Amino acid sequence: MSDVQDTRELPALRDPSIVMRLSRLGCFHQSRLSFMRILTRRMKRENWRFDRPVIDIDAAGIGHAVYSAHGPDHSYSLVAFAHDLPAEQRSDRVIAEAWDCTFTLFDGIPTAEDITRLAQNVPLQEAGRVTGAELSVSRANRSVRLWEHMVSSLAAGQQPDADQIEAVGYLMRTTAVYGSGKLGAADREMIAERAEFTAPFQVEMLSVYLTRAFVRDLVQHMANARADGAGKTAAQLGPALARSLGIGNSTGLGMAPFLLNHPVLFSNWVSAREQALQRVRSLAVARPAEIACFQDLFARNRLSVVNWRSEHGAQREKLTALTGDVALIAKRLADRGLAQPYPWDGLYRWSTKVLSVEGQEWLVSLMLEPYGDLVDDLAGELSADNTATFRIAGAMTVARLREVLQQIYGWALDTDWKLPANTARAWYVSEEKLEPRLGQRFEEPIEQYEQPLAPGRDASQLFAALAHWPGETPIAEFLLRHPEHRHSVRRAQIANRAPYAEIRDNTISDTVLPIDMLRCKLAFFGAMHFDPRSDRWVRICMYGNAPYPEELSARDGDFWVYPEQQEG
Amino acid sequence: MSHSLNEIEAMSKRAARGAGLAWGLAEEAAKGTRWLSAFSFPGVELLAGLLTLNDRLPAVDFSPATLEGCWKAPAGRMSSLIAGAAMSDCAMRMAAGQEIEMENLCFPLLAVPFAGGAALRLGQPVSVSWQGAQFATDGQRLCAQGDRKALLSDRARRVICAAPAEMQGPVAPVQRAEVSVQAWAQLAEFARRTYAPATESSRLLGAGADLDDNE
Repeated sequence: MSDVQDTRELPALRDPSIVMRLSRLGCFHQSRLSFMRILTRRMKRENWRFDRPVIDIDAAGIGHAVYSAHGPDHSYSLVAFAHDLPAEQRSDRVIAEAWDCTFTLFDGIPTAEDITRLAQNVPLQEAGRVTGAELSVSRANRSVRLWEHMVSSLAAGQQPDADQIEAVGYLMRTTAVYGSGKLGAADREMIAERAEFTAPFQVEMLSVYLTRAFVRDLVQHMANARADGAGKTAAQLGPALARSLGIGNSTGLGMAPFLLNHPVLFSNWVSAREQALQRVRSLAVARPAEIACFQDLFARNRLSVVNWRSEHGAQREKLTALTGDVALIAKRLADRGLAQPYPWDGLYRWSTKVLSVEGQEWLVSLMLEPYGDLVDDLAGELSADNTATFRIAGAMTVARLREVLQQIYGWALDTDWKLPANTARAWYVSEEKLEPRLGQRFEEPIEQYEQPLAPGRDASQLFAALAHWPGETPIAEFLLRHPEHRHSVRRAQIANRAPYAEIRDNTISDTVLPIDMLRCKLAFFGAMHFDPRSDRWVRICMYGNAPYPEELSARDGDFWVYPEQQEG
Repeated sequence: MSHSLNEIEAMSKRAARGAGLAWGLAEEAAKGTRWLSAFSFPGVELLAGLLTLNDRLPAVDFSPATLEGCWKAPAGRMSSLIAGAAMSDCAMRMAAGQEIEMENLCFPLLAVPFAGGAALRLGQPVSVSWQGAQFATDGQRLCAQGDRKALLSDRARRVICAAPAEMQGPVAPVQRAEVSVQAWAQLAEFARRTYAPATESSRLLGAGADLDDNE
């Protein structure tokens, strides 16, 4: 690289004031550092073994199964309970009380006693209890239309229709995957030291990965049973069709506050991706193999854009822009190639002038692909230990805190918070649902229940409260008189150390789109083809095109997210 | 009943808020309750006791009137959550060799997690002691000396916090906690106050995600 003469400054990390806008976070895409891919790469690299020690499901589809994954040091088992759910009880709401299937990820191999205990609790979900031997609790409902089509096709000895599979994408969708101590399960701290769980949400990702294999097997089991009943033999679902199936997921408002409630963790996620981008932009030369990898995945990812459909107005606009952006990138690649010095930095700088934000972030993620050796180590920086950052540094002076607030919350200090439109919404938890909701502050009696999820407004109030305090006063003195600002002082101090901790936008305005926060989180999970079904919930598909457990050793454990190009 | 530490933290945060504490203090109360529970101390029971004692009363009445000299609260009894938070805020004083002294502290054990936070900040162990009870913590581990009655006392006449402290027979945290059903129910009752009653208007205004995905 030193033979290339270029005097340009190495690119800096992108400024949080650019990255952390909701409009941009709501355009994030999966990347090498997404949690699903971190898991499948690891399982392939470490030659994980998978087996199915128990499958005890009757012809009506009722029973249980155990799917085990064996890593180098530990085994984990998905314990799945299949039910016979009447259609009128099938609901994706958090308050639902029955599901088509319920699951837990067990730490190890469960005994018969464990199964008995779990059978009494896991199907109840929130109304049951699990123990420190369980790592997650989840449930899933069928896509009724596709499920019946697949069972009846296979039972009749035929393959299901590929178009119908593509139109839905999944046989079951999870409506909640709980980890980290929920319902009595193991706390993350109990397992965070295990190498396979150091990256975030690996328990949940493993649970969904095994769930997908179970669901494929269950639909075959049901088709076989139906064919048996008719004295026929069912067709075996073709592997390519099977592979195109993912697990659906409906994500609603309950997840939206996560990014606000975990500022250090969120900063680490964004920071890892930003550092990866910086490293790639700093490369003086792209080698031929790297260029070829990029060109190949560009073409495959372009196919993925074609397959991305949504009926949501805002997403449709983004998709239209993205389609145009992809054509612009193709033209630039054709015109200029990637042989010039600092090709990635050049491409990135060009993109910021020409492409939509959706297209810019699509490109950023794609640029990382050829550089696993350079960026994959950043997966080790995604997790957070909040212990050290949680305590307020009370010796910080009022003057210093003011500077910090101006630097991080400048946009908020310039916002007119007296304008009703700027505080039109309020986040609260309803007694009925026990989950976060977004209400109309001026039309509903909810303000006294407001959750602290408006950091901009709160920082602005803190700034105003500090105005008449002497600059040299330690913040400890101020907080003794004003405990109502402790929350905001802590956030400001966290954001001062963790640059991407804070969303730089108004989370309670009349125009806030919770789907921006949902999409951002789901992109870090590794989801694609975000399909907002309203401003408040998003449907996605996980692990579509991924190798199944028994295929992992023979297939690509990393680039499966990108559709394969058709021959000819 | 066996609870995960996350469950304890989540419930404690809502309960402390429901009892009238500011969000920032509620967050710290929750972390502290979790921390004590991890060392097999009855954090939930102590928190339920303190929240009941000071339920929705003005925080300023139970706060140190000043951070100079021996800390005293205007109401005569001091909240271990508020005083503990202030002690953690003033951690640098202890690094400079200054003791922090508090008078009439309610449920003093609830102040000890804040010493853990201070110790992490200072990078050296911090001690907290009152009659019959002596604690030292580096933030990760905790040494406790004294009989259980004194350790779990509901009032300490005089509490001294200082650094550095000597860790003698430190105890590492466990990862599960047994919680009394009664104390859990008390916290749940406080927490319930933070939930907005559902109204017909909120349903009509579509506050939730209204997931209906039966495709």
